[in-house]
Amino acid sequence: MVDPILDIEGLTTRFFTGEGQINAVSDVDLTINPGETVGVVGESGSGKSVTALSIMDLVEDPGKITAGTVRYRNPEFAASIAERHPDAVDGDYVDLLAVPKHVRRSLRGTSFSMIFQDPESSFNPSITVGEQIAEAVEVQRRATTRPRSVSARSTRPEYRFSDFLLSTVFPSRGYVSESSKQEAISLLEQVGIPDPEERVGQYPHEFSGGMLQRAMVAQALAGEPDVLIADEPTTALDVTIQAQVLELLNDLQAEFGMSILLITHDLGVVARMCERVGVMYAGKIVERGTVSDIFDTPAHPYTEGLIGSIPDIDTPGGNRLQPIAGNVPSLLDSEMGTRCAFADRCPKAMQRCLDEPSELDASGSQSHTAQCYLVSDGYAEEEALPAGYFESSGGDS
Amino acid sequence: MISERIKSNLSESFTESLLPKLGVAILICIVLFAIFAPILATHDPTRTGYYDDSGQPYPPTGTSYETQISQDGEITEVAIEPSDEHLLGTNTVGQDVYSRFLYGARVSLVVGILGVLMALAIGVPLGLVAGYYGGRVDDVLMRNADVMLAFPALVLALALIGVFGESPVFVPDPIVYVDSFLDIGVADGMPTAIPIPGTVTIVAALVTWVWFARIARGEALSLRSEEYVKAAKSFGTPDRSILWRHVLPNSVTPIIVLATIQVAVIILLEASLAYLGFSGTTLSWGYEIERGQDVLRTRPWVAVVPGIGIMLTVIGVNLIGDWLRDALDPNVDNSTRGA
Repeated sequence: MVDPILDIEGLTTRFFTGEGQINAVSDVDLTINPGETVGVVGESGSGKSVTALSIMDLVEDPGKITAGTVRYRNPEFAASIAERHPDAVDGDYVDLLAVPKHVRRSLRGTSFSMIFQDPESSFNPSITVGEQIAEAVEVQRRATTRPRSVSARSTRPEYRFSDFLLSTVFPSRGYVSESSKQEAISLLEQVGIPDPEERVGQYPHEFSGGMLQRAMVAQALAGEPDVLIADEPTTALDVTIQAQVLELLNDLQAEFGMSILLITHDLGVVARMCERVGVMYAGKIVERGTVSDIFDTPAHPYTEGLIGSIPDIDTPGGNRLQPIAGNVPSLLDSEMGTRCAFADRCPKAMQRCLDEPSELDASGSQSHTAQCYLVSDGYAEEEALPAGYFESSGGDS
Repeated sequence: MISERIKSNLSESFTESLLPKLGVAILICIVLFAIFAPILATHDPTRTGYYDDSGQPYPPTGTSYETQISQDGEITEVAIEPSDEHLLGTNTVGQDVYSRFLYGARVSLVVGILGVLMALAIGVPLGLVAGYYGGRVDDVLMRNADVMLAFPALVLALALIGVFGESPVFVPDPIVYVDSFLDIGVADGMPTAIPIPGTVTIVAALVTWVWFARIARGEALSLRSEEYVKAAKSFGTPDRSILWRHVLPNSVTPIIVLATIQVAVIILLEASLAYLGFSGTTLSWGYEIERGQDVLRTRPWVAVVPGIGIMLTVIGVNLIGDWLRDALDPNVDNSTRGA
């Protein structure tokens, strides 16, 4: 068994708002092996994106990562910071939550990169696409010319205020150097954009959505990251383009050997791309396993519900889709309680579901686990909660 | 930074409407007056009507001023009517109104533009930082800005001038300097340096920067949650580069519009202070209005000419500001704008 490149344990991210504390991500465990694609599925508001942003350290105020470890394996990096931050280093692993912000930022691009949901809004409309990709290259190039452990990205030896003023008058005095621009062209070529020499000089509005998503992949690849986090990379695209972008990610993974953390609500994308999947609900990973575990033998009723709500082309006459009743629960701390968050929507809720469920092995292999008592005990009819139990208790139905 | 769309919007709204053309025409005239004042002027604007440098009556020929001075030295009647010698007459101390009008344009424009530039230099970075980082940084910076806003501009100006003095800065006149090598038609005896009111400029910047900070903060606040800012962060761009490359260029439009309009506001502030006698230079339109006020009925040109100067400049600047806003602000619907 290879060592995972990223090992997340007990990651907990909370938002402290005026209305109260919101438990966006609670106690999430996730491991990603080198070269592997791991999927995280769940409906809107289940904490998928916040998990991704927590790994990147891009959670914005009032959000805070309050607990957990994000251990990242990179012997070279571990050695370089071992002296300054001995507490964070454990062999080849570095606990990213124990190092200062500027050190974490130095990993962005080179170790972790991210592609976002909406390609149209992920590019600055007033700068050409080529220049924005070159910027990603340039940032890495400048960082590598200086020692990594120091706050590498915050010092810019070559670009000063005077350059900025001059760049407003002379277009050639840009932020990015000529070599970075060339690099941007070859990156665009790599992600399959035809005619890259001409495309680099165009503005985002001259690109189609699919092209922009490819350009964003190029941007993310600029630093040759170990882990590429794709946050709903295909949601904003139409179906044929979705397939192309997924194909592209597969090809690039084969070429560069990076790991991909794929965040999506689309089970079809997961089935197509991933080796292992985590199903997220209300900030927790309620079931994890290989793709075949999840699709063939779902253990958690929520996973069952998700799979049940996929339209099936083989059923003649067409069954009606089976939606999961109810809504996503509130993540406000005061309204959450400790019971299983899915209990109020669960067709098989039992008395003991009002206790906090622990993670249970669903298959005996430890690779397929679920947070549900059904896994260990099966459904006990006599313990079932009476119908309308949650409506009458005035909870968050 | 300036896209094709903005260029086409600018030219479109310029050709569609008369007002931008008027504004640009007025301002070009005023700017030309200001730049070439030493060439266009017929008299030294600072020389009074009594005596010249050698102690001889001035002007040596033509109208005798002495006859107009009453026995007890009352000088208000010195102002003479417009004539061939003095195109727009003279003021109450016998200075040429036309020449002073030209030189007054210099002071107004320099104070207006310099004040706005200084206000931009203070306000925009502070506003961007406040909006981008938010939280405590935002609180500290913007509450300070609110404190500045609480002071009435004129009272603050008077207080600061009272403490620091008027401190006029004498700037060598470039046109006269060039004329000393190449004869480009500057009449003899033109002043070689023009006084720029120092404290007034600084005060103008101090009371104006808050507006720029507010606008820049608002823009940064909305731009920092843009996906492309997040994307830039995700591949490791440092905050400073994000501010310069992604936030500032996208917030520059409202700042430009505001800057244009603030030029007019500062010109008015300088005129007000000069009218009260606190400008640090007497070569100012506001000061001339004050001087002409006593003789407004009998010698109207003394106050009316600089008054028209202020009016035209402010109208011209505001028309250009309106034009820029119409063309640059995406919230203004271009199709419904009156032709």
